[in-house]
Amino acid sequence: MKTAVHVNTATYAAIHVATNMLGNIRSIIKGSGLDPGRIGQDWAIIEDGIATWLGSRHLKAVTLEVYDPRKRGDDLVGRFDFTIDYGYYPDGDGDLWLDPETIAYTIRKHGAFPASCDYQIIADTMPGRPDVRGWTTTTYRSTAGFTRHVVGTAIGGGSLGAALSYYTRSAN
Amino acid sequence: MSVASRTIAAIPARTSTRTWKAIADLLAPVGSPGRARLEAVTSVAAILITAEYTRQAPIVVIPATGSRVRIRTAHGLDAIEAQAEEIPLAVSPCSEAGWTMSLPCGVDDIEEMRAALAGYPGIEVRDVTDGITVGGPDAEPEPAGWSIDYEEMERP
Repeated sequence: MKTAVHVNTATYAAIHVATNMLGNIRSIIKGSGLDPGRIGQDWAIIEDGIATWLGSRHLKAVTLEVYDPRKRGDDLVGRFDFTIDYGYYPDGDGDLWLDPETIAYTIRKHGAFPASCDYQIIADTMPGRPDVRGWTTTTYRSTAGFTRHVVGTAIGGGSLGAALSYYTRSAN
Repeated sequence: MSVASRTIAAIPARTSTRTWKAIADLLAPVGSPGRARLEAVTSVAAILITAEYTRQAPIVVIPATGSRVRIRTAHGLDAIEAQAEEIPLAVSPCSEAGWTMSLPCGVDDIEEMRAALAGYPGIEVRDVTDGITVGGPDAEPEPAGWSIDYEEMERP
């Protein structure tokens, strides 16, 4: 069930999308059998970064990258992207909404990860972003051999939309 | 037993972390020992706020002396309206040692949150569907002196 309220402020939209995106990432972590403790420890830092860069319009995507630390090199086992569209609603009518069913569907389709897997959260930003305490630079793991599945827009606010996609290893 | 109730604007007026800071501002001055205890549990509280458990049931603060405090968070359009109507407390209930706090939590998250709060005595989570009777030094009816909290009575 999609729920929505109406406001007309970009700041409210950025906070709505940022915090609910983080809440949905936590739902994916829990629903996929991963340890939610790590995202809990870093919650304030992650939320501060996402909200800041959404507000400044530097945020391109937020990724949950899941890997198996027992492997060396090609250790990616799964990935979830929330891709930001700053013009999702060209008229920016002010609705704030989220669709929990999009997240639940993704968790059901993807299934669980082995308990040994770990994860990191990556914010893909444009040049010129303001610095946020606690964040460091990194690079994405290779998605070679994986297929990307687009689920749809999970969160919207003002002119903003956050579309969810996930990766699974392609059949050989 | 007297109770003071407040509503604090949450998402989208504030991020979850800044909502907890606003609640901490209400309860303990910056630099006090009580404030440090509140800041130490920011992540747990922010997760509970994001999940809107604090909209469904109040945070309950039992100070060493004085009235209990119940704090709810407002979300969505209610948050935007609530932000202009926030009222400070007359006293800071967590500025003196001896206070305890109960945070509402959904059953899906409660074991995780209990584990996260294990190192923070006096701050605990309860099932959001439980009532809000929380044990404490003023849990017994007082022989004299009472007040009616009309705002709380009006809640559904």
